[in-house]
Amino acid sequence: MNAMTNAMTNAMTNAMTKFRGWIAVLLLGFAGLVLAQGNIEIDTPAIAALKQSMQQRHAKLAPLYASGAVGLAADGNVALRDASGVPLAQRGQANALVAAENADRAALYREIARANGHPEWEADVRATFARRWIDRAQPGWWIQRDGNWVRK
Amino acid sequence: MARLAFLLLILAWSGFAGARALQLDLGRLTHPVFVIDGLRVRLGDEGEAAELAIERFAIGKRDWQNVTIRCPAFRFERAVVRCRRGMLTVPGLFERATIDLHFDTRNKSGELNLRMPGREAINIVMRPDGRIVASLAGFAVARLGELLDLASWNAAGRLVGRIEYSPTRDGARIRVSGKLEGGGFTQADGLRAAEGLGLDIDLGARRGPTGWDWQGRVAWNAGEAYLHPLYLVAGPAVEAAGRLEAEVLTVARARLELEGVRTIAANAEIGLQPLVVRSLAFSVADADLAVVGPRYLAPAFAPAVTDQLRFSGHVSAAATLEEGVPTAVDLAFDEAGFSLSNKELSFGPLTGVMPWRAKARTEARLAVGGGRWQKLALGAFELVARLDGQGVDVDHVAIPVLDGALVLERLALARDAAGWHGSGAAVVEPISMALLAEAVGLPAMSGVLTASLPGLRVAPGEVSLDGALVISVFDGYLQATRLQLFEPFGVASHLYADVQARHLDLAQLTEAFSFGSVSGFVDADVLGLELARWRPVRFDARVISSPGNYPRRISQRAVQNISALGGPGAVAALQRGLLGLFETFGYREIGISCVLRDGVCRMDGLDDRIAPGDGYYIVRGGGIPALNVIGYNRRVDWNELIDRLQRVIASNAPLVIQ
Amino acid sequence: MSAFPRVAVLGAVMATASACVTINIYFPAAAAEKAADRIIEDVWQLGEGETPTIRPQPDGEAK
Repeated sequence: MNAMTNAMTNAMTNAMTKFRGWIAVLLLGFAGLVLAQGNIEIDTPAIAALKQSMQQRHAKLAPLYASGAVGLAADGNVALRDASGVPLAQRGQANALVAAENADRAALYREIARANGHPEWEADVRATFARRWIDRAQPGWWIQRDGNWVRK
Repeated sequence: MARLAFLLLILAWSGFAGARALQLDLGRLTHPVFVIDGLRVRLGDEGEAAELAIERFAIGKRDWQNVTIRCPAFRFERAVVRCRRGMLTVPGLFERATIDLHFDTRNKSGELNLRMPGREAINIVMRPDGRIVASLAGFAVARLGELLDLASWNAAGRLVGRIEYSPTRDGARIRVSGKLEGGGFTQADGLRAAEGLGLDIDLGARRGPTGWDWQGRVAWNAGEAYLHPLYLVAGPAVEAAGRLEAEVLTVARARLELEGVRTIAANAEIGLQPLVVRSLAFSVADADLAVVGPRYLAPAFAPAVTDQLRFSGHVSAAATLEEGVPTAVDLAFDEAGFSLSNKELSFGPLTGVMPWRAKARTEARLAVGGGRWQKLALGAFELVARLDGQGVDVDHVAIPVLDGALVLERLALARDAAGWHGSGAAVVEPISMALLAEAVGLPAMSGVLTASLPGLRVAPGEVSLDGALVISVFDGYLQATRLQLFEPFGVASHLYADVQARHLDLAQLTEAFSFGSVSGFVDADVLGLELARWRPVRFDARVISSPGNYPRRISQRAVQNISALGGPGAVAALQRGLLGLFETFGYREIGISCVLRDGVCRMDGLDDRIAPGDGYYIVRGGGIPALNVIGYNRRVDWNELIDRLQRVIASNAPLVIQ
Repeated sequence: MSAFPRVAVLGAVMATASACVTINIYFPAAAAEKAADRIIEDVWQLGEGETPTIRPQPDGEAK
């Protein structure tokens, strides 16, 4: 019993020595992981530029959210859902605003995934934002829930 | 009209019976156009009331129930039927319509007047020769919605006009002329709507044994419309001809007059039950891009950048669609020009053809007269691309840049819902730095820029270039690897690269940037360089004297400049008193590093020895007279550093060191 | 005799290694939500008082 324990201990020591380097690397990996879990990097110049662009556009989009012409879609985009309240001559402009906003949003989701070293997170980032845009929307704005537009 | 005439006939017959309080049950009547079920006529005395009731009246798939005509004054004299101030009710179509009619049963002629509240009137005259003329005044278009299954369009407006029906030996002729006023329509989501529509309508049709041959012209003279994503205003006119047969409307030749376009011709096949465009083919000749670009092309194809796109030149086009899906598009450009974001990127004049087929390979050939990318002018080039469904392949294209060229090879791009994907290779054929520096506003320098980037990859919002871009400059070279360009066309456009420079001649470098004079060579590493709009926002940089034996002298002025860069807190010359006495000093090593994060540069110098007072050596002296430059400021605001550098370069005035 | 423990240890290390890799691809949902909120507040210029929502997920919970 004793001999066996000894042998095992020896063997394990050998093995441990061999793999010590590995384990160190793994621990480092964990350290990085803990950091990643605790924080999502969003303070990059690209994200700041997108945020600023979207913030400026928001002044034009806010009345469209309030009137229900534009709603917050379930896929993290905005959508022209009922343009009938917008004067005909401005419907094209409303559509252009929606397209430009969606282009910025797509870039934002990509950029956040990228800034955190995980481009493959793009879909998750988009899904998270989709939920939060809708949760944070003002009462009276239109949101898409289970495929239907509802007034919040 | 035919059915009204028929009704009158029935009335006439029933009147003929001449009996008091007579009721006739005529049951079912069928006609090629309509079906009447449950027809009942109840007559009082002559000159008294009469009532005609129809349980169901059907035209095609549409039907109305409980149609009635009540005549308080009904007469039948000498084979002429008269009904004064009668009341017609067709639930859903006519409510409380006043009807006046007289009809001569001998020669089947007569007149019918319908008046509805709101000055809406229909007058129908039937002549003995079989001609029927209907005049409409203030006729509400909303009624047509009921007739034509277009209720969801919420049509509005009033029709004024005349419809003439003449029988011919083998069929009939119809002629319609009129005006629509105050017209409009809107669908629930507001994506198809029009307001204040005015139309001039002129149509003619001839019925043959199998269907109708028609031709006509409709001019749009007032109002505006939004047909997602296009906003349209009055002006266009359409002339067309075709056939109507078995609920299929064929438009054999249509010509559309539209501002900015010489002609648009189209033909189409439209199913009427339900309303669907089965096939459509159109051609556009000589469209002025400056007009049609911002109005139609940008909203349809690039709505996000509508404000930033500019067009010039002409394009002709032809396209076919089957069941709403494009199957072929041919474009011919004539001196066309496109520019984005105030000429940040532009191409043109561009001439050539671009055929596209949904299910076949085609080849596009374009001669591009030139272009511009930011400050760089691009020369003329030929582009041959193979198009295949959603993919584009380019074997080789050489875009001249100054005295060199950007060559793209084996470029294969494909588009999906997310954007463009693809791969290829890029080569930059030698561009002289003298020209490049002049073009982009850098100080004059000699050298050559080349690049070999065999691994070009494109993904939505991303272009990465495996390989190296090399600039031989200042006797040494500068090499950029791991180049990646993100969000190239948006506000978040930024570029990553690792840059290594070796053996740069400081004498040439400092001369080029008017930075005093330093002899010697340096190596530099700028890792993880990120440029946003060409301004560095992040990097780990280190510059250090190159190894080797070479003269190492630094001028008094350069020392002053370096000191000035450090700002007020970073000036130190160990032999300060000597500074004024000598023009140049010997040095052993120069070294400086900067880690740029969030606008702050964390600075350090030669790392082997800490200078007194926690300073760091930027220049370590050697030879006679020797001089050390020591920095103390370890956190420097990057923008401030750049400001200082620009001031140092700009001003040749000596800086005062106290 | 010594082969077994070696294999065991190797196995343990491999398990740790694979566990590490597996965890590493998890998307940090709670952190992402906070980051999204910060951006949304900036874009929509929401003041502190205008955040009526309660976040259901505790911090650090992986998706």
